[in-house]
Amino acid sequence: MNRKRDRDEHLEQLWSMAEKGEDSIETLRSALGSEFNAEVIDELASEDVLELTEEQSRIRLTTKGKDCARGIIRAHRLAERLIYDVLGGDFESGACEFEHTVTRELVDSICTLLGHPRSCPHGMPIPEGQCCRNSSRIAQSSVVPLVELEVGRSARIAYINSRSDQELHKLDGLRIRPGVVVTLHQSYPSYVVECEGGNIALDEEIVSSICVWREPEDAQPAGQEAPAERGGRGGRAGRFRHRRGRRWHSGGQASHEPDSSAAGG
Amino acid sequence: MTEEDGSQRDGSSTPRPVKKIAIVGLPNTGKSQVFNNLTGKYTLVANYPLTTVEMNRTRCEIDGHPYEVIDTPGLHCLYIHSEEELIVRDLIFSEKPDIIIQCIDANQLKQSLTLTGDLLELGIPMVISLNAIDETARRGVWIDSRGLSRRLGVPTIESMAVNGLGTDEIKAAVRRPHQPKHGPPYGDIIEDGISAIESELPEDLSFKRKTALLLLLGDPFLADRLRDDYGEHTVAQIAKVVDRVRRRFRGDFGHVLNNKRSRWVDEVVEHTTRKQQLALGEFSKAFARLSRHPVFGIPILALFVVTTYLLVVHVAGFLDEILSAVLLDPTVEFISRLLPAGFWSELLVGHYGILTLGLFNAIVTVLPILSVFFLMFGFLEDIGYIPNLCVLVKRILEKIGLTGKAIMPLVLGFGCKTMATLVTRGLRSRKEKFIAVYLIAFAIPCAAQLGIDMAVLGRVGFVAFLIAYGTLAFVEIVAGFALNKAIKDDERSAFIQELPAIRIPSPKAIVVKTYYRLYWFLKEALPIFIVAAAALFVIDRIGILDLMKSALRPVVGGWLGLPLDIIDVLILSLARHEAAAGLLLNMVDAGALNYIQAIVAVVITTMFVPCFANIVAMCKEMGVKTGLAMAAAINVSSFILAGILNLILVALMGR
Repeated sequence: MNRKRDRDEHLEQLWSMAEKGEDSIETLRSALGSEFNAEVIDELASEDVLELTEEQSRIRLTTKGKDCARGIIRAHRLAERLIYDVLGGDFESGACEFEHTVTRELVDSICTLLGHPRSCPHGMPIPEGQCCRNSSRIAQSSVVPLVELEVGRSARIAYINSRSDQELHKLDGLRIRPGVVVTLHQSYPSYVVECEGGNIALDEEIVSSICVWREPEDAQPAGQEAPAERGGRGGRAGRFRHRRGRRWHSGGQASHEPDSSAAGG
Repeated sequence: MTEEDGSQRDGSSTPRPVKKIAIVGLPNTGKSQVFNNLTGKYTLVANYPLTTVEMNRTRCEIDGHPYEVIDTPGLHCLYIHSEEELIVRDLIFSEKPDIIIQCIDANQLKQSLTLTGDLLELGIPMVISLNAIDETARRGVWIDSRGLSRRLGVPTIESMAVNGLGTDEIKAAVRRPHQPKHGPPYGDIIEDGISAIESELPEDLSFKRKTALLLLLGDPFLADRLRDDYGEHTVAQIAKVVDRVRRRFRGDFGHVLNNKRSRWVDEVVEHTTRKQQLALGEFSKAFARLSRHPVFGIPILALFVVTTYLLVVHVAGFLDEILSAVLLDPTVEFISRLLPAGFWSELLVGHYGILTLGLFNAIVTVLPILSVFFLMFGFLEDIGYIPNLCVLVKRILEKIGLTGKAIMPLVLGFGCKTMATLVTRGLRSRKEKFIAVYLIAFAIPCAAQLGIDMAVLGRVGFVAFLIAYGTLAFVEIVAGFALNKAIKDDERSAFIQELPAIRIPSPKAIVVKTYYRLYWFLKEALPIFIVAAAALFVIDRIGILDLMKSALRPVVGGWLGLPLDIIDVLILSLARHEAAAGLLLNMVDAGALNYIQAIVAVVITTMFVPCFANIVAMCKEMGVKTGLAMAAAINVSSFILAGILNLILVALMGR
C-alpha cells in the first residue's frame, strides 16, 4: 500500500531541495536514505512528474510535479502547525503520516480554521491553497452537524460525537465513519442517509452527532446522489478516491513556488 | 449419530464424521437463501433484515459427503453490539465450524469486508458468496471476484442466490477447504501486543488471536466466558497483560484498530472494484425514496393496502366459491345422504362438524384467502418495502415510547407476531421492550389475521374495513401512549436501521415462499382446526357450551351487541386465529352478522387472545408472570374496547 507514500516522500523531498536551490540526485539519495527508490523515480519520470538530466545526475520537478508536491507539502506543514499550535504535540511524527491520507478539502479546512498560516513551525513556507487566495475568513468550509446539511446533498464526515463506544462501533460497521462521503436523502419523518451503497435510517440524535465538512457554495451542484467518482466537478470530485496515488489535484497557479518564494522566516 | 467428539479439536487428528458449515454475514445478505440452495430445505427468506431470528440447522449431503449446515441471524462484526449478535458469535466460538460461508451483498462490499476481516482472524476455512452480483453490474460497478479471492486468500464466488446461481461453485469450494492466509495487517506494535496476550491464554483455547484482539477491545462478554471456562484466576492474569498492552497505546485502542481495519477494507475494495462514471438513475432508488417520503409514502402505502384488499376480497372470494361448489357442497351432500341425521352426521358435517368446521373451514374458507394474501405479502417482502415503513411511522412510534430498535419489531408484527416478539430480544431498554411486546400482541393483526379480516370486512364493504382498522390503529396508539406515560423512562436506544435496496423480486421465489407458508399452515394448523372443531362439538353435546353462552349473554349480547354464536368464534380464537376468522367469515356469509356486528367482531377477534405461540414467545421474552399478565390485560381490554366501539357505532348509525 505504500507506493503512494513512497512517491509522496520523493516529491516532498524534491520540493524541499528546490527550496534550497538544490537539484542533485545524490542529495536526494542521501536525504531519503533507505527510502530512496529508483523505481519510484522512473515511474514519476515516466508520468512527467519530474525530469532528469541526461547523465541522470540532476533531477527536478516539472510543473505538474510541482503541483503535486505543493499539495503534499502544504498538507504536511499545515499538519505540523495544527499539531504544534493547537494540540501542542510532537508534530513531526504525526504530520509525517498525515499528508498521505488527507484530501484537499480537508487541508483547506484546516488552513481556514488556522487562519491561513504562512509558515510551518520550522519556519518553512506553507504553499498557498485556493482558500488562502480567496482569503476565506468565514470558516466556510468548517464542520457542521449532518442535520444542517440540505436534503439531497453529500458531504464528507469529519468526526462523530458518539455517545457510546458501541454506537460508534455500530456506525463504523455500516461504514459511517470519518472520511467517508454520505448523502442525506431525507430528514422527515426520519433521517435517511446513504453511505457506501447502503441506505440507513437514523434518528435525529445520531444525525446531529455526525459532523461533516461543509462544502463551499460553488463546489457542489444541487441535489444529487452520491457524487460521481471522478471527473468534472471542479476539482472537488474524486471524493471516493482521495487516497489514490495516481490522481493529482491541479490546484491553480503557482504563487509560492519554491524558487520564487521568500516568505516565512 | 456421533457428532460430539469432545470439546477439543486440534486440526485433523480426529476427523469428524460430519463437518459443520456456518453461514454468516451482515443482515439481509442472503444467508437463508444460500442455506436453502445448499441444503434443498426451505427457511423463510425475504428482502429485509431480521428475517432469521433463530439458528436454523440441518443435515445435508454435498457431493455425497454429510454436512451440517447452520443458518445464523445477521452479524456485523465479532466485537458485539447486541445480544442477538452474541448468539452468533457464541455459536462460532463454541461449535467451531469447519467451514464458514460468508454471504456478502455485492452492493455493500465495504460494509461486509469489515466482518470478513474479523472472520479471517479466526483461521477457519472460509468461502465467500458474493451475492446479487447482477445488481452491481447493472449499476456500473464491476467487482473483480478473482482479485478478491487473491487478496483475501479465500475463494470468493459470484452468485445470484435468489436464482440459485453460484450454488455449485460454493459446493465445490466447500469440498476443498483451505486455511485463509491474510487478515488485516495491524502493524508491529499491535501484533506484539496480540502475541503477548496470546501467550498468556490457556493452551486449549481456540481462536487465540481473535480472543486476544477482542480482549484488547475490552469485550465484556468474552471475559465472562473465559471466567466460566477457566476460572477467576486465569482471567485476572490475562487482564493484567491486556492492561499492560493497552497502556502502550495513546488514545483509544478501538479507534486505532478500526482505522487500521478500515484502511485495509478501503484498499481491498479499491483494488478490486471499478466504477463506471455514468450509470442510469435507478427506478428502484426513486421508488425507495418515494415510499418513505412523508407525502408520497402515504398513497403508496394506501395503494398496497387497497390492492391487497381487492385481491383478497375478489380473487380469494372467487376461489372460495369454486372450492365450495367442487369440494364442500358435494361432500356434505354425500355424507348427509350416506348417514342418517344423528350423532355421526353431526360429528362430521354438522354445525360443529370436524369436516365442516375443521377440514373444510381450513381448506375451503381460509386457504384461498391465505394463498392470495401471502402472494401479495411475499411480493411486498421481497421488493424490500416493509423496512421502509419504519421511516414513515417513526414519528408516531416515538410518541408512544418506541424509539430506536423497537421500531422494526413492531413493523414486523404485521408479518408474524411471534417472530416479532422474539425480535424484541435485541432491545436493551426494559421499557421499550415491554411496550413493544405488549403492542405487538395487542391490536396488530398478523399477516394471516389481516388477510382473513380483509375477507370478512370485504363482505360488508371497504368502509367497514377502514372503520375496523382505524379503530385498531387508534386503540394501539392510545395504549402505547398510556404505557409510555405509565412506565418510567430508562435508557433510549439509538435508531440505526439499515434499509434494504428495493428489488424486483423473482416470481418463482414468491411462489415458493407462498407455497411453504401454506404448507406450514396446513401442517401446523389443520390438525388444530380439526381438534378445535371436535372440542366444540363435545362441549356442545354435553351442554357446557349452552351454559357458557347463557352465562356470557349479558356481555356478548348486551355489551358487545353480538349474536351468542360469536362465543364459538372466541373459543376457536384460543386455538387458532385463522380458524376463528374462518368461522366468522361463514357467519357473515350466512347473514348472521349485520354491518356493525361484523366490524365489532373483527375488532374483538383481532385483539382477543394473542395466539398460543405468541403467548409462549411473550413469556419467553418477558418472563412467565409478566407474559401471562399481559395476555390477561389484553383480553380484558379487548372486551371493554370492542364494547365501547359497539356503543359508538350504534349511536352513530343506529342498529
